[in-house]
Amino acid sequence: MIMRSGQQLLLPANPVFIWATLVVALLLNMLPLGRVPWMPDVLALVLVFWSVHQPLRVGIGIAFLFGLAMDVHQTSLLGQHALSYVALSFFASMIQRRLLWFKVPLQALQVLPLFAAAHGVELVLRLLVGGVFPGWAVLLAPLAEALLWPVASVLLLVPQLRAPDRDENRPL
Amino acid sequence: MALGTLDRSLPPFFNQGPSALSKLVFFGALSLFLMVADARFNVTQPIRAVISTALYPVQWLALQPVHALQNSTAYFSDLSQAQTESVQAREKLALQSLRAGQVELLTQENNRLRLLLDLKQQLATPVMAAEVVHDAADPYTRKVIIDKGQAHQVELGSPVLDEVGVLGQVTRVHPFVSEVTLVVDRDLAIPVLNVRTGARSVAYGDPAVGGTGMELRFMGSNADVQVGDLLTTSGVDGVYPPGLPVARVVRIEHRAESAFSKIHCMPQALTTGARHVIVVKPVTADLALPLAVTAPAAPARKGTGK
Repeated sequence: MIMRSGQQLLLPANPVFIWATLVVALLLNMLPLGRVPWMPDVLALVLVFWSVHQPLRVGIGIAFLFGLAMDVHQTSLLGQHALSYVALSFFASMIQRRLLWFKVPLQALQVLPLFAAAHGVELVLRLLVGGVFPGWAVLLAPLAEALLWPVASVLLLVPQLRAPDRDENRPL
Repeated sequence: MALGTLDRSLPPFFNQGPSALSKLVFFGALSLFLMVADARFNVTQPIRAVISTALYPVQWLALQPVHALQNSTAYFSDLSQAQTESVQAREKLALQSLRAGQVELLTQENNRLRLLLDLKQQLATPVMAAEVVHDAADPYTRKVIIDKGQAHQVELGSPVLDEVGVLGQVTRVHPFVSEVTLVVDRDLAIPVLNVRTGARSVAYGDPAVGGTGMELRFMGSNADVQVGDLLTTSGVDGVYPPGLPVARVVRIEHRAESAFSKIHCMPQALTTGARHVIVVKPVTADLALPLAVTAPAAPARKGTGK
């Protein structure tokens, strides 16, 4: 197994934890904060994160299901989020071998085009169907998601960053 | 097994499942199919209802912190504010009690006159109180979610009012919640009546003003419309009961290049902050029964039912 120098060997991921983070991200997306076009899509972020780090556990099918849930919740076109999440998950699995060679801030720079493309897909679809243009603030959403990537890389990897053997002198 | 972990299970060598590209094509095609079915044929309501029911506990959970915050701020709100509100309410009540006294008399008189004219009785429409749960997060439309659904006999197409005027129309009914498209949505049209002149027209949502205004379309540049005119529902659509305030004209632009003038209106209802609303049964639901019973006479009675 070839690894970046200085990279820590992680513990196996717990599938229950993966599902729990996905559901919590769905919850965060569902917080009734009104109609804010620049609101970062936390669920998309978590889906991309797990598609990169655990491609065998979280893939395109799960992204599709969560996309449908978001569509029904947001009362948007049925399949709009599903398509954008499917594309996100696919491109994430395409770049996942390359992405993990970079440090976290550079990873954020590399996932930015992914999020921009996902939001672009939604925008084009809705304008085709006859929606109202939500304003230029919509451009900030992918930026906010890329900025949250380092936060996600810390929070979601915490259980895997523990030491393999419990040590009384080391709390974590 | 992922790269860089201590996972001890081997990845499957031969049973890799379908390739990522084939999955992308399959799910992409499926979502495109769903979108077409949703936008063009409106056949996806059962799927939506199932997912909505499954999501209901999660939605309820997501609402709790916001509700708790609202409740606590309401609890600590000023006593003086409560007092001023009570004074205002009392003044409003005094004004309305005068009118209420007249209404009794007028209703009686109206009934007699209608009997004389052999008109269909004005329908007393059944209403249901509901609460706006949250704004729909979709930034491309203007919708809100209310806490009544199929389980409470909400009907598709029911008009929704707040205490000031028409707020919108129920456009999707789920088992426990419903979606209400607001009057400021671009796709919602309401037949209105100018109270001052009696001229009928149709008001549309206006996406130009940040999605908070309405416009009267196809009014000639010589039409008699003035700033400040009140527009109420005309009742010709068979959905909205007549006489409910919808909007007030705020600006009129006469354009040299067009035979129509652009008339901007402000909705009367609180489209951004409505909390308690009432859902009214569509008028057609009441009209349908007698029309079906006396089928041959239907065309003649249709005109009188308005």
